[in-house]
Amino acid sequence: MLRRTETRRDALVPAACVAVLALVAIGAVLAQLLPQLDPLRADFQAPLRPPGPEHWFGTDATGRDVFARTLAGGASSIVVAAMTVAVGLVVGGGLGVLAGFARGWVDALIGTLLDVVLALPGLITVMVVVTMVGPGRLTIGALIGLIMVPAFARIARSATLTVRGQEFVQAARIMGAPPLRIIGSEVVRCVLPAVAAYSFTAVTVAIVAEGSLSFLGFGLAPPTASWGGLIAEGRTHIATAPWICLAPAAVLCATVLAVNVLGERWGRSRP
Amino acid sequence: MRTLLTRAVRALAVIALLGMLTMALPLLLTGDPAVAVLGVEATPEQLAAFTAALNLDASPPERFAHWLGGAVRGDLGTSLVTGAPVTAEIGERLPVTLELLLCGQLLALAITVPVAMRSAWRPGGVVDRISTVLAYLLLSTPAFVLGLALILVLAVGLAVLPATGWAAPDDPVEHLRHLVLPVLTMGLTEAAVLVRVLRADLIATLRTPYILAARSRGLSPWRLLWTRALRPSSFSTVTLVGLGLGLAFGGSVLVETIFAVPGMGRLAASAIEARDFPVIEAVVLLSGVTVVLVGTLVDLVYGVIDPRARHAAAH
Repeated sequence: MLRRTETRRDALVPAACVAVLALVAIGAVLAQLLPQLDPLRADFQAPLRPPGPEHWFGTDATGRDVFARTLAGGASSIVVAAMTVAVGLVVGGGLGVLAGFARGWVDALIGTLLDVVLALPGLITVMVVVTMVGPGRLTIGALIGLIMVPAFARIARSATLTVRGQEFVQAARIMGAPPLRIIGSEVVRCVLPAVAAYSFTAVTVAIVAEGSLSFLGFGLAPPTASWGGLIAEGRTHIATAPWICLAPAAVLCATVLAVNVLGERWGRSRP
Repeated sequence: MRTLLTRAVRALAVIALLGMLTMALPLLLTGDPAVAVLGVEATPEQLAAFTAALNLDASPPERFAHWLGGAVRGDLGTSLVTGAPVTAEIGERLPVTLELLLCGQLLALAITVPVAMRSAWRPGGVVDRISTVLAYLLLSTPAFVLGLALILVLAVGLAVLPATGWAAPDDPVEHLRHLVLPVLTMGLTEAAVLVRVLRADLIATLRTPYILAARSRGLSPWRLLWTRALRPSSFSTVTLVGLGLGLAFGGSVLVETIFAVPGMGRLAASAIEARDFPVIEAVVLLSGVTVVLVGTLVDLVYGVIDPRARHAAAH
């Protein structure tokens, strides 16, 4: 009896997480397509309306629908997170596999370069670069990805080291397979799952970092909607109209929580 | 001895590369940095003075060497905005941020140690489950959201604390009242991370035979945890707390912005907005050097505290 409820709950939690992420994704797409969900359409007759049947999350100071803006903010988060993971996987994963496979001075050189990135104050560095090259979803995603390269590389390197010592890789080397082909076929196939598991963490870091940047005014510039930017706008009305910042904040936290929980399950399901 | 030397060489190489990278930042601006900062209406004399003040004609390695030469003599340049020496600007802001960070880390540890112990003692028990759920909720709440939530509840709702602002320590009561919300935000965010780390390490330690031996001798749980299990489980936690201090130079931007605290983070943010390169360079470099030094020190201290780490490094 007890075990049945256990398994039921075990299946329920991931399902809820997937549902949250699916809703955010569908909402982000709909916000691009439906004119009713235009994040910039302002209803000047109805500023600072509390949540109700007409405006589910209420309206902001200029009468824009907070629900529509939250959905549009989700699109920004998705683009930024995808770019972060892409840069982390390709650059970090590549460097890690290279360092772990080549060892020797290549390993030491890559390690030193990664230590330089680790020593940079992440948020500050991204802020500096964004003010100079200009904000954009892809720029911000790539910058956060670069800051996360050392973490990706460390995981890829240690996974490569484990694989490198195993018989099938040794056999391939003895048979005279060129190093690049061994990396391409054997190592990547075994390293990718380990690095992919870390992508969940990278997604949460990207969402939080993009939110933080936009909150500070160094991220996505208006009119591009961003959860951090919406929360910053709502901050001035926190006492009179708390829904303007609470609604996007709740969606932001729910999304990060869902990714965190799914990532933890994914990591635990693998040896 | 050899590992000590390689560590030192590597740390110096990292600092040198970091310096050149930082000094290359103005090159990211399209066109002449002087024009980009001062605008097209600036006179040639103004542009020349700007270029000279920042030594912008030199290459990044030369600029770093020049910066380092000044830094050794305690001169980090002058702020382009206020005209004050950068050391004075930092000297004014650093104590504020250090106070926030130290109080925040202490609060985080005060929460972490008992909660992690109680959770690790019975993994999967009621306390462990509740603390796990709370830690996940906190982990998923960015600092700026947590800060706003605390303002909403404690400053707007209950109206017991000031929402934002800062009071000098001359007035201890007001000072403490302004300290509570930023320290709570920092401490709770940090505790969420530390509890997970320390709990996992404690569970691993509690499975070792020597703990079983101590238990079979009838040691009480709390004594066992405090005197036997905590020390060998604390390394990751110590590293994280140590690295947290690297945040002193600029990492506390979010909390200082939410609560309008005049610390290093605000200094960094306003310098970035104004493209005040001497201040930006000082913040990035001092932060980087702190992280490298703390990282190297923690590595060395490991070997001193735990013979096993010394052994592992030799292999």
